[in-house]
Amino acid sequence: MIYNIVFVILFILGLYTVLVKKSMIKMVIGLNIMESAIFFWVISLSNTGNLIPILQTYMEEKAVNDPVPQALILTGIVIGASTTAFLLTLIIELKKLGGSINLDHIKGLSE
Amino acid sequence: MISSNIFLLILIPLTTAFLIPLLDLLHIKYRKILVGIAGILEFTVSFSIIFTNFEFLKKGTLFLTYNLGGWSPPFGINLVLDSLGLFFSTLVSVALLLITVYSIGFIGHHEGKYYVLLFLAFAAMQGVILTGDIFNLYVFIELLTLTSAPLVAFKRNRNSTEASIKYMFYGIIGGLCFFIGVILIYFSLGTLNMAEISSHFTELNTRMQLIIITFFLLSMLIKLGIFPFHFWLPKAHSACPSSISTLLSGLLLKIYIYIFIRIFWIVLDYNVIQEIGLADFIVYLSLTSCLLGHIFALQADDIKRMLAFSTIGHISMIVAALALNTEAGFYGGLLHVISHFLMKSALFTGTGYLLQYTPSHNIKDLKGVGYKNKNIFISFVTASLGMIGIPPVIGFISKWYILLAFLEVNNHIGATIVILGSLTAVVYYFRFITAGYERTEVGTSKKERHVLSVFYREKIVTMIVYIFTFMAVITGVSFKLFDLPLKAVIDVITNPAYYINYVLGG
Repeated sequence: MIYNIVFVILFILGLYTVLVKKSMIKMVIGLNIMESAIFFWVISLSNTGNLIPILQTYMEEKAVNDPVPQALILTGIVIGASTTAFLLTLIIELKKLGGSINLDHIKGLSE
Repeated sequence: MISSNIFLLILIPLTTAFLIPLLDLLHIKYRKILVGIAGILEFTVSFSIIFTNFEFLKKGTLFLTYNLGGWSPPFGINLVLDSLGLFFSTLVSVALLLITVYSIGFIGHHEGKYYVLLFLAFAAMQGVILTGDIFNLYVFIELLTLTSAPLVAFKRNRNSTEASIKYMFYGIIGGLCFFIGVILIYFSLGTLNMAEISSHFTELNTRMQLIIITFFLLSMLIKLGIFPFHFWLPKAHSACPSSISTLLSGLLLKIYIYIFIRIFWIVLDYNVIQEIGLADFIVYLSLTSCLLGHIFALQADDIKRMLAFSTIGHISMIVAALALNTEAGFYGGLLHVISHFLMKSALFTGTGYLLQYTPSHNIKDLKGVGYKNKNIFISFVTASLGMIGIPPVIGFISKWYILLAFLEVNNHIGATIVILGSLTAVVYYFRFITAGYERTEVGTSKKERHVLSVFYREKIVTMIVYIFTFMAVITGVSFKLFDLPLKAVIDVITNPAYYINYVLGG
């Protein structure tokens, strides 16, 4: 239960940052908080109090946690890292091209 | 039946994408040959699948599967190609060939990077269509966003970089919503296989169903650019080179329409959505978006921006027609998928040609451009007439069927909005057509702005524009040709049980 509450708080914090903050870097951080909140939540859901995944021969009789969510999250982390890297590259490029990374200075972003 | 051919549909563009940098080490001239061959190969594979399985297509029992790694469906990742998938997969293959050939003539600078990203995007599209595993679908969607965003920023100026950043933010949030939906499905049903989810989804309690549907719906609305989330679309579709605009506007949004159909009709149960009352919400939201898209297009002075806003209107119209959940609605919506693809591609490829002769995208600078380039402008006019809905171009037929679908369920608001959209389209297309035909003495202003495509081969570009226009007209005359495939597709959409039985039982 506590995990769900923490997830909701973190997720809304991230969403708030994306929607309200004017600096693009902060928005990227907000996206990362949202992503991390989901990853954290999934891992906490998959923990049913049993052994760590990978079933080995000497632990045949025992129950293990579900390993699938962990595989999903690994993929999710890779995707998150690459999108963040690409977004930051774009922001650096925009700054180099004479643009501003403040949303207020960008003409027509709300169009 | 198990067929390894369908794996080739993903493998050909994927291999090409990674072969291009390797071949560049040898000599740069091989690059164009390689992409041409890849385009033809993909086209051949796609059509050979149709011809070898034609009798199954006729009977409506076309199901081709391939289990990756030899693990059978509930455990491994499986690729499935049914009539619905084949319909969109053929669309992608046709577009791959035509857009690649267009790019050979159109793109001059940074070709290597361009083709790598283009072919990765095509591989991701085929992956989205073929996959039978919902998490795999999510990965392919993210791959699609990650490969199309650099293409949006391809011109490397301020405007396109801003457009790409915006596109990424919306894309990532849409993707996250999809991811939450996938996770909720996994923890409530314990499976990621689409057929298994489909067979057990109705066993969930209503609250859980509602939450899952909401997240998927939110994700799809963002990705499709329906009204409250459409802000990324016009800028992204107008800031990139015209070949990319063709890809984004003509094809990419159709892939999201495919995901919309696959998720809401086959994986989740559309009857549940109707019982909750969300179906009406989707219909009226997309109708609002349709009207607003056409109205925004009225005040756009930038030609590519106008075309992008018109895309919002048409995509929303397709979604509204599909969301009616009647056979006529599916028929009209799916026919409009083809017709919008052909006409919008003709318009964007033609615009790409015309913009080489103008200093900017603005309507003021477009004066006289059509008068000077009559051969291309005639196909621009033909495609515009199709968008408005004038026979014999296919746009008339598909709009007609959508109109009939709205009238069949006595949705007079929908019918009115479809007609109003067409009337608005008359105004905003003819603004540009009259400007184009104005006789002015501007002189040759080809080199007035920095032109991206220096190695510009007019003949290839003209050929592709003509092919798109010709296809739009010829399919408009012989639209009965699509009866058979569309019937098979509608059969698959309305009976998810076929899909479940085939994947899990066969």
